[in-house]
Amino acid sequence: MNEKQPGVHALIELLETIADNKYVLGDRLVEVGVSGPNLEATLASIAMAQGELGHARLLYNWCFDLRGLQGKKAEIYGQTGKAFTEVIGVNNWITLIAALYTTNVAIDIVLQSLLESNHPAVVSRIQKLMREQQDHLIYAKSWAYELRNEQGAIPRRFEQALNRMVSEVYTWLEKVEQKAELQASGYFPAHVKLTARFKEQLKEIAAQSLVQVK
Amino acid sequence: MAAKQRKTFDIFARIKRGGELIHIGTVEAENEKLAKVYASFTYDEEDWSEMIVVDRSQFVWVKKPHGLFAQKGERVR
Repeated sequence: MNEKQPGVHALIELLETIADNKYVLGDRLVEVGVSGPNLEATLASIAMAQGELGHARLLYNWCFDLRGLQGKKAEIYGQTGKAFTEVIGVNNWITLIAALYTTNVAIDIVLQSLLESNHPAVVSRIQKLMREQQDHLIYAKSWAYELRNEQGAIPRRFEQALNRMVSEVYTWLEKVEQKAELQASGYFPAHVKLTARFKEQLKEIAAQSLVQVK
Repeated sequence: MAAKQRKTFDIFARIKRGGELIHIGTVEAENEKLAKVYASFTYDEEDWSEMIVVDRSQFVWVKKPHGLFAQKGERVR
């Protein structure tokens, strides 16, 4: 590890959290997505799983480089333990969409903020990933909107799943926002506003009224 | 989950810039945004230079073939 860069530890932790969530989401998109509500949704879910797993591998490899490790990249057999509890607990279509939507929105905000810092070590690594992630975001937002406007018990169950997810993700974003070393090292712009942007994004599916963000 | 009204979208694509615009298939989706995502994930066998999804209900027919067993004298609607 390069001791001259105090923010590197914090950056590795941040990237590993994103990678872990993408790794677990990739698994759940296959496991749960295969019994999606229709053929197109299932096919897209499986295709996105490949994308999420690919992104996870890219981020793990980046962490490998940041640690200054040399040689062949390590095989990835599991997450490092930083994935959100609610993502790990995904077990049906409703919780899958709540997890996919919330996690992808939060990750997009974090990566967008990293990009805005214009740090040379960061920009080239995440531009392609962010471009590929846009389809995942559209899918997650559209399905979140559909479930929110479904009939019967689905909107209420979706609301409960979303509340649990939002609460966990919001807490994480707060912690990331308060890490001074990430801003001091130039990985984030000064006074980065991750939680405010997250709340703003929730308005897109009119979720602000149904989720209790503290 | 209640079956929601889904629409059929036809997908057109061009392999190369300036090439022929071809009909490559259809997807059924709940809305236009999902149709775009489904199309790009389902029909990814080529590196298309253009891809378009069109809501079938928005087609303006100039000529529409009759069904094979259409009643004599039945008009195209």
